[in-house]
Amino acid sequence: MPILDTKDVTKQFGGLVAVNQVSMTVNKNEIVGIIGPNGAGKTSFINALTGIYKPSGGQIFFQGKDITGFPAYKIAKQGIARTFQNLRVFSNISVLENVLIGAHCRIDNPFHHIFLRPLRSKKIERQAYAKVIALLKNVGLEEKKESLAKNLSYGEQRTLEICRALASDPELLILDEPCAGMNSAEMDTLADFVKKLRDEGQTIVVIEHNMCFIMAVSDRIIVMTEGAKFREGTPAEIRNDLEVQKVYLGEQEVE
Amino acid sequence: MMMGSGKRKWLLLGGLTICLLLVPMLVTDIYILSILNMMIIYSILCLGLNLILGFTGLLSLGHAAFYGIGAYTTAILMTRYNFGFGSAFFASAVLALLVGIIIAIPTRKVRGDYFCLITLAFGEIFRLVATAWIEFTRGAMGIVRIPMPKIFGIPIATETDFYYLGLGILIFTYLTIKAITDTRYGRAFIAIREDELAADTMGINTAIYKIMAFSIGCLFAGMAGSFLAVYQTVVTPSNFRLEESCLMIIMVIVGGMGRNLLAPLAGVVVMTVATEVFRSVADYRMLIIGLIMILVLLLRPQGIFGSSSFKS
Ligand SMILES: Nc1ncnc2c1ncn2[C@@H]1O[C@H](COP(=O)(O)OP(=O)(O)OP(=O)(O)O)[C@@H](O)[C@H]1O
Ligand SMILES: [Mg+2]
Repeated sequence: MPILDTKDVTKQFGGLVAVNQVSMTVNKNEIVGIIGPNGAGKTSFINALTGIYKPSGGQIFFQGKDITGFPAYKIAKQGIARTFQNLRVFSNISVLENVLIGAHCRIDNPFHHIFLRPLRSKKIERQAYAKVIALLKNVGLEEKKESLAKNLSYGEQRTLEICRALASDPELLILDEPCAGMNSAEMDTLADFVKKLRDEGQTIVVIEHNMCFIMAVSDRIIVMTEGAKFREGTPAEIRNDLEVQKVYLGEQEVE
Repeated sequence: MMMGSGKRKWLLLGGLTICLLLVPMLVTDIYILSILNMMIIYSILCLGLNLILGFTGLLSLGHAAFYGIGAYTTAILMTRYNFGFGSAFFASAVLALLVGIIIAIPTRKVRGDYFCLITLAFGEIFRLVATAWIEFTRGAMGIVRIPMPKIFGIPIATETDFYYLGLGILIFTYLTIKAITDTRYGRAFIAIREDELAADTMGINTAIYKIMAFSIGCLFAGMAGSFLAVYQTVVTPSNFRLEESCLMIIMVIVGGMGRNLLAPLAGVVVMTVATEVFRSVADYRMLIIGLIMILVLLLRPQGIFGSSSFKS
């Protein structure tokens, strides 16, 4: 059974159909790439999946459960974590606190325990802290754990955002243009990291304009244009697809 | 944050507490003690307001109303219903909490500027009701002759007694807010301040957390009000004007908002002293207070003890 299964997901903004009946599946332990020209509806589709937009139509099943129309915080609790195309780290607080906030819904510390079982509450918080430190080590940000997020380089902030998403132990990780603003060395590191996550059992959906990156990491690629799914296939199939090339060449002429 | 320099910090706090406990042995001047008592009241208010404004980023212009709810609750229960201070204090805190929840529920999803306006309106409505509902609140004359409080049978009579009672409430407030903010709850509040949408996608039910931060802040305002009632023995609507809410906001901003819970207290000290020094030129008081705020913010945008400035 696929971990994520969308059926005809649609999102309209007034007359504009940003996402048009997109059906896709994501299997466990797989990296699915989504590509498509600017304005194709990739981000809108992800926003509909993660509860930032309520889908105008269609259904979303996650681990067999219908999560269509769930608010964002509930979807996060179900196990979908994401990053944002236009970075949304918590700028004015430390790297450490950013990632701790990412772990929020996995810290089992009920409010009354703060007063009624303070030792247990402290212990749970300490465990979360240890877990977050390990995660920061893993992505190479441990040295900077006390720095304010806004003082990190752009690439580091991107890494931080991924780290924050990972802190919630997601079943599905969605990355929206993780390479934007990264230099090629950072991009290579990220590609290796993403593949390593997959090898460790993580399921990932990644939107990316950078063809080298997407071809290198994806097991399967979905091409979107004008809100709809246009093609689906292995990286090799997509690369050799003349129609896909046309869509992209058309875009490059515009740019 | 919560680990690290923990031990040293607690030592420092312990030292500070002992100093504060010794103050009445060194200071016998009634006037100075009364100023210290007002500082304690504002400190309790500002600790609560920091939770709302500094942590969660909600600009409440109605904090004085919750202060007033606490004061009137205690005044009315003690003068008309023979409540002891303990139970009146408890009722004041709970009522301020409940009204806080009632205000926070409909405002949980409105934008910051609307939130600001709604709390402003609530503050004014409270003051108008307190002024106009004469049978219940005795209007502008206020409620007078609030009985002397007793704690475990010990009467609280002198400025020094009130100092210790107030200090006790202040320490309780600090410890409670510290305990809350050192956990995922405090971090969730900060996440909302920083980026509400991102907070949502971290699994934080932002509506609930905003209600929580706001009403807990109000709870402590209720406690401060209750203390004010027995301390002044009189409460009048003019204690809870918009000016008071603004003064509290200024104190929090000048001291420094956010994680450093003691920072707003620096603002309390600076602004209370300024208010006293310029008491003779009462007409220009707000002007001078405003100037002090601008000056501090120009020199230290993050406040005197703030760790980092943040813009919304
Ligand atoms: N909140 C919104 N309100 C109205 N229209 C929107 C909104 N969000 C997106 N759109 C429109 O939906 C369409 C799809 O946008 P979307 O951001 O999903 O594209 P994208 O594939 O992510 O593009 P890019 O590669 O540039 O990120 C665009 O025409 C956009 O203008
Ligand atoms: Mg996009």
